[in-house]
Amino acid sequence: MNDAFTLPTRFGTQGLGGCYAPETLMQPLLDLEAAFRAALEDPGFQAELKGELRHFVGRPTPLTPAPRLAAKLGLKALLLKREDLTHTGAHKINNALAQAILARRMGKTEIIAETGAGQHGVAAAAACARLGLRCTVYMGVTDMARQAPNVARMRLFGATVVPVEAGQGTLKEAVNEALRAWAGRCTEAHYILGSALGPHPFPTLVRTFQTVIGEEARAQALEQTSGLPEAVIACAGGGSNGLGLLVPFLGDPLRRLAVEAGGHGPALGEHAARLDGGRMGVLHGCKTLLLQDEHGHTAETASVSAGLDYPALGPELAALVLDGQVEVRRASDDEALAAARLLCQMEGILPALESSHALALLPSLAAEGVATVLLGLSGRGDKDLSTYQSRLEI
Amino acid sequence: MSLNPLLPFLMAGDPSLEVLPGYLSEARALGIEALELGLPHSDPIADGPVLQAAAHRAIARGATPRRILESLAGITASPDLILFTYLNPLLQLGLEPLLRLLEPTPVRALLVVDLPEGEEPAFETALRAAGYPLVPLLAPTTGLARAQRLLEARPDPGPAAPFAQRFAYVVARLGVTGAGQATDLGPLTARLRDLRGITARPLAVGFGLSDPVSLQTVRDLGATPIIGSALVAELTSGSLIRTSLGARLPR
Repeated sequence: MNDAFTLPTRFGTQGLGGCYAPETLMQPLLDLEAAFRAALEDPGFQAELKGELRHFVGRPTPLTPAPRLAAKLGLKALLLKREDLTHTGAHKINNALAQAILARRMGKTEIIAETGAGQHGVAAAAACARLGLRCTVYMGVTDMARQAPNVARMRLFGATVVPVEAGQGTLKEAVNEALRAWAGRCTEAHYILGSALGPHPFPTLVRTFQTVIGEEARAQALEQTSGLPEAVIACAGGGSNGLGLLVPFLGDPLRRLAVEAGGHGPALGEHAARLDGGRMGVLHGCKTLLLQDEHGHTAETASVSAGLDYPALGPELAALVLDGQVEVRRASDDEALAAARLLCQMEGILPALESSHALALLPSLAAEGVATVLLGLSGRGDKDLSTYQSRLEI
Repeated sequence: MSLNPLLPFLMAGDPSLEVLPGYLSEARALGIEALELGLPHSDPIADGPVLQAAAHRAIARGATPRRILESLAGITASPDLILFTYLNPLLQLGLEPLLRLLEPTPVRALLVVDLPEGEEPAFETALRAAGYPLVPLLAPTTGLARAQRLLEARPDPGPAAPFAQRFAYVVARLGVTGAGQATDLGPLTARLRDLRGITARPLAVGFGLSDPVSLQTVRDLGATPIIGSALVAELTSGSLIRTSLGARLPR
């Protein structure tokens, strides 16, 4: 019986993260950490994961130069890390697949997952189909409506999609319901959290399985260009994409930026910019920067992007920000939509709305004198076509 | 030691803060010794649909943590209260304001659903020193060695202390609060026997208990049954607290 965590549960000088979980989930979390550590030390697990990432996911993903967009924006060079080209179309598969393999090693027969934009849900459903595990995905009803193609994809992969009607019907409520479901079925089910948040060990687990993005990107940049870029930039919802790209660049002399959803206004409830508007708090098992009211109730959020409207920034990314390792900026709905259109027109690549928030920051980086940028294109935009059609009037 | 026959749960602010003093005094008059009072939270991850809905109604009606505690100030016709809450509202209040608000109330202990022992040691120690111990929770997934450690970390202050400060909360089944389907109480019998082997303190059993038969089964096993979601649901549909509690007390 594992009775204590052995990996660090806290991040940064302010001790973010932790394990604020109901007692029912404590032993499952302790067991998960032990299984994770054992897997990392097992060459068999590493070999299986590597093989699946190559032959099922399609890694390594390309680092694509975007010379026409760079010239248009006044940058010398722009490199796009193409997570949109992974199987299922976003970086989420890196973590979902790894955790599904881990769950099977633990003897679990069911996977529970939450999803916002649907990308993590699709990734989990695909990984489960691949490995022969049952899959149940909790998804807010608002997100089910705006990301309908992903709901259909999950169901085609054999997953059960459970609509969550509470609150705003978005990711926060989906996580609530997934945690409740896991507390009821923790003996036979593993919960694959899709972002670098939740109680320990989830933030560490997710970051570990996502840093393949930045490790590849860094090696590719060194191989394809004369050196490292001046800035590396990613969008940040919970933080799995942001950490995945940025962490491998932590030792390098360059700017690391994460872009949050600026939504449609600066007031609480109109955005999901946790750095400006958030205060330290505890939600879903971890202590981090959280959008909340004075009573400690989670605030509502708004973003055109279903993947960026989570009210908390993952604890490790928040710690890196507070300790000065990562800069946080915000991009509005309109800026993200315009940036998506520009990438389509200049490079023939349709980005997800989430990734478009990172793209939207490029003009201000150019204005600040940055010449070379590596940007994490976290996902493809097919799931967002109806939003693009209505908001961009095409 | 005589067995406390019933530990009821109410959600503060549902249906309103105004009715709360009346509820508490009626509970007291029925002989209820201790009562769990829920502090409504926006994201109650350990609660089922009934308590979720009650929390959201209470929040919508303005039942903030501060108002709730202020409404309890000076009340003496009440069972001992165990404040049943999630951590974040307490963190946002801050320790000192929280202690000032608690001081004139009948609150005698806190049950913080998402605060495992050791995560906020300074906060927990200060609360205990001020007379507000945290209730240890023992889930079906809690092994006996871990249970022993949790009980030692949140120790029994001894027979002179009130039930509210002494009991350990035994979670009857996996999942969230709420009556749901009838709970098979078979495993609970073995569980309580095992726990009795490591502790003599009072045990209360909650999650999924509602009908008089299961409540009596728990009593027969030497533990106090907790009645939460079923009580809240009845009060919501217009039942009198006297009726709902009276029907569940042993004759």
